Amino acid sequence: MITTATGRRMLAFAASAGVVALAITGCGRAEPPAGGNGGGNGGGAAEASPGITDDTLTLGITTPLTGATAGPGNCTADGAIAYFGVRNAEGGIEFGDGKTRTIEIKTYDDEYNPEKSVTNFQQMVSDEVFAGALGLGTPTNRAWRDAAAEEGFPQVLVMTGDPVFSSREDGYLDLGLVPSYQQEGGAFGEALVADGQPHKVAVLFQNDDYGKGYTQGFKDAIEGSDDIEIVKELSYEPTASSLEGQITELQATGADVLFHAVSVTPLAIADLQKVAALGWKPILFLPSNTASPGGILTPAGVTADTFTGVYAAGFAQAAAAPPFAESEAGKAYFAAIEQYVTGHEQDGKAFPHCVWSWTGAQILEEAFKNMEEPTRESFYEALTSISGLETDFTFGPIDTTVEGSPAVQVVELQKFNGNGYANVQVVG
Amino acid sequence: MNSFGTFVQLVVDGLAQGSIYAALALAIVLVHQATGLINFAQGGMAVLGSYIGMTVGNLVVPVNLILGVLVGVIVAVAASFAIGAFIERFVMRRFQGGEEDTKVVATIGLLTLITGAIGMIWGFNFIPYPFFFNTSTSFTVAGIAISLWSLTTFLTIVALMAVLQLLFTKTKMGLGLRAVADNPGSSALSGIRVGRMLMVGWGLAAALGTIAGILLAAKAQLNPGNFDAILVYALAAVIIGGLSSPIGAVVAALGIAVLENLAGTFLPWIGHDLKIAVPFVLLFVILLLRPQGLFGRKSVVRV
Repeated sequence: MITTATGRRMLAFAASAGVVALAITGCGRAEPPAGGNGGGNGGGAAEASPGITDDTLTLGITTPLTGATAGPGNCTADGAIAYFGVRNAEGGIEFGDGKTRTIEIKTYDDEYNPEKSVTNFQQMVSDEVFAGALGLGTPTNRAWRDAAAEEGFPQVLVMTGDPVFSSREDGYLDLGLVPSYQQEGGAFGEALVADGQPHKVAVLFQNDDYGKGYTQGFKDAIEGSDDIEIVKELSYEPTASSLEGQITELQATGADVLFHAVSVTPLAIADLQKVAALGWKPILFLPSNTASPGGILTPAGVTADTFTGVYAAGFAQAAAAPPFAESEAGKAYFAAIEQYVTGHEQDGKAFPHCVWSWTGAQILEEAFKNMEEPTRESFYEALTSISGLETDFTFGPIDTTVEGSPAVQVVELQKFNGNGYANVQVVG
Repeated sequence: MNSFGTFVQLVVDGLAQGSIYAALALAIVLVHQATGLINFAQGGMAVLGSYIGMTVGNLVVPVNLILGVLVGVIVAVAASFAIGAFIERFVMRRFQGGEEDTKVVATIGLLTLITGAIGMIWGFNFIPYPFFFNTSTSFTVAGIAISLWSLTTFLTIVALMAVLQLLFTKTKMGLGLRAVADNPGSSALSGIRVGRMLMVGWGLAAALGTIAGILLAAKAQLNPGNFDAILVYALAAVIIGGLSSPIGAVVAALGIAVLENLAGTFLPWIGHDLKIAVPFVLLFVILLLRPQGLFGRKSVVRV
């Protein structure tokens, strides 16, 4: 069984109405979690963890399904829903203990609100969910991290570039999925240095861990390079309604590079329009979540010639780029999204998070295949022992064994060519 | 660009951004003039109207872009008028004669409900809004970049402001609207149909807000939360400019945006992180010195 998007939207509506939402959480709390054993594991050695039986495993995803981050948020669930939808239809996945199980996904809306994500965690525990995975958001995932550790509840392949989730040795059953913001910013910095030309860089960053992470990674990469100078750094608050003032101020510095660590979709679009309107033609760096050709560049009227170059760091193919849809894996992906994801708002390519979620599902599948006991500990052990796993869309193989690093580590710099992105080594 | 050039550019940017604040502020002034109430759901209703316009407009766009956009705008405005009047008649009317606070809270409830309903029907993704021209289009005058969208928005708002000012001061209906807000009892006794006036006031405000919603969506795409941040500025503009004055609201909205931009750039100790505080500091000062707002009429109570 898979919770449908329609169902989620109904829930969203109920939540908005307020009263109903209270009733739901109230009901959830009323039922205490059943102790210890969630499924009868016949003659096995270890007692099964909650959320896993001989034929199903229940996965929970708490992520923003409504609100401003709902687009990417829904995607973080939809990729996995599509992937496991296909696997379940094939009969399920054969686990390391020899049993074949289907994967049931339960989604929980946290509205990008840390308080809601904590409530959702408690709900997952009382719903007998085996593990939480793939949720989007740094503050929301951080909010229930300690509670999850206390419960021995895995919080894995979370979609945040925050490195705190990627330590294997701190006793937390957690792991990040996507490369850190620092890695992306660093990839651009390195390629800029490799260019060998002098550059003046203007930096616009979101005033939080996200924007600061990108900027720090970039600065670390250009450190020691005499040719590259940061001429001005400006920040903004994510709630701002316009950044045009900042763009005008940065343009006035005469910089030839704009490092644009902005995560908010409409602001990113308006910024690119403003840069073009000012007649400024910088080399632009965009973060992976606001670099989508279909979601950002086309609406902003950006073509291959609008700027000197548009670069983004990425770790997976963009579903919106034409070659993706023509590849076998791409066709299978779109077919699965079409079949298993209900709701008109998801086409699987407006946000990259759908592809990331699909990738996460492939990594989870690998862990399921290798876990020898139906326990959370065995699952985490298997999940953090993957190396050399080729997935459908990432640029490099998955290696989850590196302490301090998330599951996906290979970051490539890409340049916008008018339709999609092509990998490059050097800026210029 | 020299620093004077930057200054002028920032002023132009501010006027463009301020036009959107002004559009929503005008709608708030209108409802306030007609009902004596501040409507927190104004932004939500504007977005709802825009979604309806987009949905209908997109049916025609494949045939002819301009015609499609035009149909969308007309349908959006008409639908918003109907929705505004409906909400007044069947929701706000229930609170008629009750506490003012209750009504305001009811409008906040409406905002949450409308946003949720939009999300349920259209989803929370950003959706491009078809428009008469490409909103990336811009031209340069003496080194200053002006976007066609900004110019259109600015002119639209100024025109709407003029129409509203005339409506309130020169027409029988405008006087009726104000009379009903001021004293429903006496208005009824002097033959004004209070209920109808209230409905018309809400309807007009919703229609006006929707024009702002469409202009914003044309540039920044359509999303249920489009007006969340802007509502705060619009309210500040309304209070600074005076709740009773369309011109005041527009001047204040433009002023806020320009001032914010300039302060962020030229006052280093404020910078872009603190510039959001500028309008609100201004708000406190105005409220202390001139509680009725810069352009507002003092309410006089005769004994």
